[in-house]
Amino acid sequence: MAAAALSFERAVAQPEAEVLARPSLSYWQDAWRRLQANRRALVSLYIVLALLAFTVVGPLLWRVDPSAQDLDQISAPPGADRSAEIVAPHVPWAGVTMPLAEGNRLAAEQLTAPAELALADPANTQAVRLQWQPVPGASGYRVHRNILHPAPDDALGLPLADVLQPGRVSFEDRLDIQPRTYYYSVSALDQDGDVAPAYATLQVVAKRVITGAEAVQRGLVETMEDAALGQRVRLRLHPFGTDYLGRDLLARLMHGARVSLFIGIVAPLVYVFVGVLYGSIAGFAGGRADQVLMRFADFVVALPFLLFMILFRILFRIEGGDDGIAPMMLAMVLLSWPAAARLVRGQILQIREEGYVGAARLLGAKTNYLVGRHMIPNTMGVILVTLTFAAPAAIFTEAFLSFIGMGVAPPTPSWGSMCNEGIKTMLTHPHELIFPAVFISITVLAFNLLGDGLRDALDARMRGRGGE
Amino acid sequence: MKAFRPVRAWRAGRASVGDGAVTAAAGQGAAPLHQSASRDLLLLAAAGVAGLLLLMWALAWVTEASGTGSADAVDATTGTITLALSTEPPQLDSTRLTDLVSGRILGHVMEGLLRYDENNRIAPGVASRWEIGLTEATFHLREDARWSDGSPVTAHDFVYAWRTVLDPATASEYAFILHPIENGAAINRGEAPREELGATALDDRTLHVRLQHPTPHFEKLMAFATYNPIKEAFREGRQGRYGADAEDLLYNGPFVISSWVHGASLRMERNPHYWDQDRIHLNAIDYAYITTDVNAVLNLYKDGKVAIAGLNAETLEDALQRRWQLKRFVDGSVFFIEFNHRPERLTANLNLRRAIQLVTDPAELVYKVIKLPGTLPGESIFPVWLKGVHGAFRQEYPAPTHPVDIELAREHLARAATELDIAGAWPPLVFLSGDNPAANKQAEYFQEVYRARLGLEVKIDRQIFKQRLAKMTAGDFDMVLAGWGPDYEDPLTFGDLFASWNENNRGRYVNPALDSWVEVAQTSPAPRDRMEAFAEIQRIIHEDAVVLPNYESGSVYAQHPRLQGVVRRAVGTDPDFTQAYITGTGD
Repeated sequence: MAAAALSFERAVAQPEAEVLARPSLSYWQDAWRRLQANRRALVSLYIVLALLAFTVVGPLLWRVDPSAQDLDQISAPPGADRSAEIVAPHVPWAGVTMPLAEGNRLAAEQLTAPAELALADPANTQAVRLQWQPVPGASGYRVHRNILHPAPDDALGLPLADVLQPGRVSFEDRLDIQPRTYYYSVSALDQDGDVAPAYATLQVVAKRVITGAEAVQRGLVETMEDAALGQRVRLRLHPFGTDYLGRDLLARLMHGARVSLFIGIVAPLVYVFVGVLYGSIAGFAGGRADQVLMRFADFVVALPFLLFMILFRILFRIEGGDDGIAPMMLAMVLLSWPAAARLVRGQILQIREEGYVGAARLLGAKTNYLVGRHMIPNTMGVILVTLTFAAPAAIFTEAFLSFIGMGVAPPTPSWGSMCNEGIKTMLTHPHELIFPAVFISITVLAFNLLGDGLRDALDARMRGRGGE
Repeated sequence: MKAFRPVRAWRAGRASVGDGAVTAAAGQGAAPLHQSASRDLLLLAAAGVAGLLLLMWALAWVTEASGTGSADAVDATTGTITLALSTEPPQLDSTRLTDLVSGRILGHVMEGLLRYDENNRIAPGVASRWEIGLTEATFHLREDARWSDGSPVTAHDFVYAWRTVLDPATASEYAFILHPIENGAAINRGEAPREELGATALDDRTLHVRLQHPTPHFEKLMAFATYNPIKEAFREGRQGRYGADAEDLLYNGPFVISSWVHGASLRMERNPHYWDQDRIHLNAIDYAYITTDVNAVLNLYKDGKVAIAGLNAETLEDALQRRWQLKRFVDGSVFFIEFNHRPERLTANLNLRRAIQLVTDPAELVYKVIKLPGTLPGESIFPVWLKGVHGAFRQEYPAPTHPVDIELAREHLARAATELDIAGAWPPLVFLSGDNPAANKQAEYFQEVYRARLGLEVKIDRQIFKQRLAKMTAGDFDMVLAGWGPDYEDPLTFGDLFASWNENNRGRYVNPALDSWVEVAQTSPAPRDRMEAFAEIQRIIHEDAVVLPNYESGSVYAQHPRLQGVVRRAVGTDPDFTQAYITGTGD
């Protein structure tokens, strides 16, 4: 049997064995395929791309100056009514003075409510002018304004002013009049300045108006000739509403994203690059050099970020009015690279001992080749994942620092500083806080989920997890 | 199992690749993945919401637990009211007094020769009678005025306190307010020994004062806290700690500080040695909270933990919805943009200041940005409540006004550019402001006004109060949001602000014409001459655009309905609880 076995023939070349029956996939193609299979990561990727478009393309389409103040629409919620009537500019009002009514000194309780409380002019958002009949024995009047009817518990609301000029029976209110219903109450004051319990109330609906000059200045009409009195114009559209100075929230979100995403992408790029370089040198060199380099990295980890940022601010002579972005970036880059360096160094140490690296070395491969062919491609996954996880951290840091006032300088918006401004009006105008907060949350979440998906897709040992 | 998974998956992957239907396989593989992912997400979201609810409940429970045991804001049975203080007084030594909060506390625990009564008229304090002439004054001290250790308040206590204020070693920022006393300014400059002060104790109960020059408002000065008495033996015994703590003070006012936990609380109780017990109704005033956060104070008010809460434009609507009875108060201060007049700054140029003045619209600022009732658009550095010869000063001498005129402003700006040799864009102007939300809002409003109307770039430099003051003193600004509250009820308290020698003239404005009018106002005994001088000062400040008045500040607040008799005033202790009482049950 053995002899028979020895008599063999030369094998015929089988060309079909050389042909690849299936298209081969490179590492990256495979990773991309698996990333596509991960719906969560894919959606996140689209969100990140959409955010970039929002920042870069958005301002080209939505050409609104983020620092322009529309004082007619302060803290306007999204979708507020915005038609206004054109009126003449405000002229000071002399008011109505009537001869002092005959009357004895009366105690506050005996004073009657002012009669015939009425509007002297049609009420609008420029001014509400009230007049009434004198009350016998009164030394003056107190005017209140409320947004609810004073009855039944006599809640007169906001004390606007005391009218104390002798004989004056009128009052002009110009304080932040919104196009809504107000209840003005007027009560008399006695000789000692005490207020009478009796009061008269007038319901007033203020109409939104704008002067011709303002309409031209804000670009609502072309020229003053177009701004005929009584004509209705539409005020500027603010799809996301406005903030406490009437600035367009959408434009501010777009410009704010610039700062947030710039920091979120550039800072991690720089410090991950530094970390990769440092980590691969340490890992590749090994031995004593590695020990020294990594102990230095440990030392850097121990340095407090906030303290260093404040020190850099002082070093850069950053004063209150200057942008704090540069020291923030510098502090981030100088203090955040060790995490990436550690990861990469671990990876390199591991790869260095792999059989194929040994084989390559045996075959006389140079260091450059080893690094370029084996080390870097095999650590790329780790690097990419670190990068995507570093981005949300950086965005968050920027938002936090801007929130406490160490980031951008006004009027430049950033999402963090917008949150800081919005939180003051959280109860009355929640949209000023909600929009930037939602944008921060979505961005951070999207980057995190994308990072998660990338890790799954790039890590060979995690392969197939997506199919479970 | 774990080791197995990748293998199986790998095979599945190869198989699908082999079928040449990558996308289809991926799609098939994605279906169960999608399902499980959305289920995961749903679970995660549910867990998150549940966690949040649990946290909220826990927080509510914690705050409630910590709140139990503290009494109501207004407690009639013990005669105690509970309040919040915006900041802690840095110290309570009246010789080194500078801030409003210390002034408020000192107004309750100390008493000067004279005081303001509930109608804001001068009333007897430690002095029961007094005669004030052109160049001298005599005060007769009451017999029953006592320190809180039982010893009598004597004329020597005043002489000692005044000498201490003027002593250069004390470095009192308010020493200037004692300069009307003979040799006061000289002692303060270190040119005369402190014993030469023109204030002498003729006996224990008679104080005689010689004045440097006629001082028409001297009577009103006597109610100012820097003129308070200090017992020499006690102060010297504290070795520099006088006023640093509750036990480091000797009191002669209606209340004494019974406990002072730094940074946390300050409690005042009725002073049994005070001479006018009938005037006091409360047993204790408890500043149980010290916080600058107005929203926190408002929440305390909602919970019935404090008796007074200030409101701002943002919280007004909420207060109206709750149907609270609101009060309004004009605090008497004037706020303005102060220019830096030091020759090396751009703002030393009159045309630039004019241009800025012409585009600044205080009415817009007040009615659309500040939005607080009681706040008046600023027209002058003399507020409307100041008295003139007969009636109100501002009615007798109306402030010069100007309409907003952007065209004219740009002409002035162009002229300024030629004078200063500026071609092209202006270098940014430094706008110094406080770091509170209200100041931020105003600063950002002005920043945009100057950018949009004049094309001027403005850098906002936000600083805490101390730092802002330091920068103002050093001249490290172009424009600054500044304010001034009255020290005594006379136009001079505002009128001498921009005299070349005034320490508070932080913009270092120097104008001999204005100085001479200030001198007239300081020394002339005739009210009409003085008012004419103030009118001239008002005119110069407007025409030279020394400062741009922004607004006269006012505030709106909610007060517990059972707390009555609280006196609010522009000049003097504010708010004054000395004569406050609690209505309803008890009292």
